[in-house]
Amino acid sequence: MVAASSTDTAFPRAGGAVTSILRKPSVIPGFGLTLGFTLTYLSILVLLPLGALIAKAGGLGWSGFWNAVLTPRVWAAFEVSFGLSLVAAAVNAVFGFIVAWVLVRYSFPGKRLVDALVDLPFALPTAVAGIALSALYAPNGWVGKPLNELFGLKVAFTPVGIAIALTFIGLPFVVRTVQPILEDLPPEEEEAAVSLGATRGQTFRRVVFPAVLPALVTGFALSFARGVGEYGSVIFIAGNMPGLTEILPLLIVIKLEQYDYAGAAAVGTAMLLVSFVMLLVLNLLQTWMRSRHAR
Amino acid sequence: MAIQVSGITKQFGSYKALDAVDLEVRSGELLALLGPSGSGKTTLLRIMAGLESPDAGSLQLNGEEALGLKPRDRQVGFVFQHYALFRHMTVFDNVAFGLKVRPRGQRFGSAEIKRRVTELLELVQLGHFADRYPAQLSGGQRQRVALARALAIEPKVLLLDEPFGALDAKVRKELRRWLRKLHDDIHITSVFVTHDQEEALELADRVVVMSQGRIEQIGSPADVYDHPSSAFVYEFLGQVNRFDCTVEDGVARIGNGALSIPTDPAVRGAAIAYVRPHDLGVSPAAGGPGRISGVHVVGPDARVEIELAGLSLEAEMDRERFGALGIALGDRCAVHIDRARVFAR
Repeated sequence: MVAASSTDTAFPRAGGAVTSILRKPSVIPGFGLTLGFTLTYLSILVLLPLGALIAKAGGLGWSGFWNAVLTPRVWAAFEVSFGLSLVAAAVNAVFGFIVAWVLVRYSFPGKRLVDALVDLPFALPTAVAGIALSALYAPNGWVGKPLNELFGLKVAFTPVGIAIALTFIGLPFVVRTVQPILEDLPPEEEEAAVSLGATRGQTFRRVVFPAVLPALVTGFALSFARGVGEYGSVIFIAGNMPGLTEILPLLIVIKLEQYDYAGAAAVGTAMLLVSFVMLLVLNLLQTWMRSRHAR
Repeated sequence: MAIQVSGITKQFGSYKALDAVDLEVRSGELLALLGPSGSGKTTLLRIMAGLESPDAGSLQLNGEEALGLKPRDRQVGFVFQHYALFRHMTVFDNVAFGLKVRPRGQRFGSAEIKRRVTELLELVQLGHFADRYPAQLSGGQRQRVALARALAIEPKVLLLDEPFGALDAKVRKELRRWLRKLHDDIHITSVFVTHDQEEALELADRVVVMSQGRIEQIGSPADVYDHPSSAFVYEFLGQVNRFDCTVEDGVARIGNGALSIPTDPAVRGAAIAYVRPHDLGVSPAAGGPGRISGVHVVGPDARVEIELAGLSLEAEMDRERFGALGIALGDRCAVHIDRARVFAR
């Protein structure tokens, strides 16, 4: 009966004589035009400045490049920037998911307001956020003072403060990537799980969470990437002590102020490479997850 | 397992989905809930499964009150119209789901789970598809996976919500026959919802016709088709010619007396008469009152449209009979009614 019918359509037949490797026959017009436009646009907008950066760093030669990058100060800034961005992205992944869950699953008064609130970190100038956060978390601030007195926890001018600033600016990325996926989740899948005997916890763990995971990884990656590049909101709360709370973007600015353009370019290039590799890995992870249950 | 539904009422806002419904599902039978959309059939099914809770009434599964039970404690298998397979799991994991989520004490070992799942996949003829994802299957295959998944928990009752609704006509027919055969083999008490009268009449042991949150009629397929208890049932089950008429002294007159039907003398005054197209006979007659206004020969059947005294009638016969009559578009004809039902307004 129907058992064999689906395999027949799995392999689309090769069309006319002019079938190239690059282009499958399609009725959607404008392939050449749009691909050309896309490549040109991305080249001018993205590749050109990045290429200029790498070319500038290349002026140092291999040994000059390694000398500029492999100093304890740069190394420490790498750890601060990437390490704390990962921490912030992880925090966002957990709490951003909860925010998205609440916004999708429940209705309560003021829901639209909360929904709009999520986007504020996008809209606020980062310097404003930085000043507000450092005022709050400073040893004499509204939040910083009780934290210090009750728990002995110093937030401003420590790595914790940087993590808080990065969490603040990264939150919308997770919420906004997870939210639409949660909204599209068919309720029948959860009903099916429940009628098959699953508890609420099992339903969440085995049905809901795996369906949302690819989006969560995207949100995590975006939040992380944003954190690595973040400057404005961090420098006020960080304290900027070299080797301890100095972030990479700030180190680059410092090098620029000292007219060490090639050194700044070298650090920038190294940052670019690490970011690229990490994002690539996250992307591959996601492609792998999605390919397993593409509709 | 028998199901006893008593006085179940469910309201969505101002809309009454179910109005004090009583129904008994007998142990081992295959029962169809048939009705147009909005008749409450799906709501009733979801209440049986525990996916919806009624405002009033009681539900007994095998003599025990079940409304207080959670869906997972009801031992009910549910099949959804759009399959509701877990997209990120293979066919095997989908079917194994209900076995894997059992409490630790009652869970089988992985070898036993594998044995059971493999057996079920053989039963639904998908033994070779265990490692596929739902997205890689056709609609009919997906629905069979959904069925295997529901059967895996060894339910006492199988509930199916428009199980063939999302499939194309040919697959639907195949799957329908296959489900009937499966039911004959395993005899699990089953209730399925459908809006397709052909499906209900062909598949079910008994048919429950629903309309606007109430049950119109319960009976065997032949029973509800041949002896509809209300105008709604008559009209809903199959094609029908519907006439306004007046009844006097046991005779219903249609179209100012152009047609008349003997009827139950208890009915008086304004009424509605129903005639199935295959109960309407046509014969060529040079000066006859009717005129052939349309002829459609589809497969083995011929459908003939007739204009008579301002009425539009439809007759149905097999192709050979139509050929023997020798009538064509525009011919005059006579009409006779073999069987009709008249309902008082």
